[in-house]
Amino acid sequence: MHTVFTRANAILAYTLSVSACLTFCCFLSTVFIDYRANATLNTVKVVVKNVADYTEYQTENNDFNQVVLWDKIVLRGDKTVFNFKNMNTKYYFWDDGNGLRNILLLGNKNVTLTLSWNIIPNAGLLPSVNAFGSHTFAFPSEYTSLRV
Amino acid sequence: MSSWMQYIKSIPTHMDYDGQARAEKLSRVIITLFGVVGLIWGYVIHQFSQTMYILGAGFVLAALITVPPWPMYRRKPLDWQKPQSEVTVKQKKKK
Repeated sequence: MHTVFTRANAILAYTLSVSACLTFCCFLSTVFIDYRANATLNTVKVVVKNVADYTEYQTENNDFNQVVLWDKIVLRGDKTVFNFKNMNTKYYFWDDGNGLRNILLLGNKNVTLTLSWNIIPNAGLLPSVNAFGSHTFAFPSEYTSLRV
Repeated sequence: MSSWMQYIKSIPTHMDYDGQARAEKLSRVIITLFGVVGLIWGYVIHQFSQTMYILGAGFVLAALITVPPWPMYRRKPLDWQKPQSEVTVKQKKKK
């Protein structure tokens, strides 16, 4: 601490140590939060962070198939109440094989829509949260050119 | 020019030992205090960036207060021994 430079070095190092400690406190504050929420396709109000819709079904090639159909990035301060009706999917039903329309040209009977979201914190865990509730439906056996 | 150099060289830039200890302690206290207050404030308003800004303010304040060798860190100079005469120095060398 005998010259200007050693003092400047010392307080800079100490500031960085304190900021690391504060960041760890920020991380701790995010660990024990339960982010789960009740959201189904019929829910009118959904408070979401980052949202993705998944379609899950099983095929012979893959035990676990998921397709993201829609997502939205919600920043702090954005409107967090969505009310969508008759909307198109943002992404296609990309399929690895013919799982959605199986070999017998029958629609998959067990396609499940769920809602989940990631929360991206300043420091801390990156939780992937699934909403309570889901919607299961059968895929149509034939293509259509118009809305069903 | 030489008078300018003289003036610049005459500015005292040292801290005494007690001043160094107090400067270090003071900087630690300031930065820790701003860090704790920043953490509480940031937690209250859920903005971690505010915590970092407050910590940065504490750093700037600590730098202003403790980095330059202010006169208040020079209040307890050490009592150095008087320079010894050459004779004694020579005697010591003979030993």
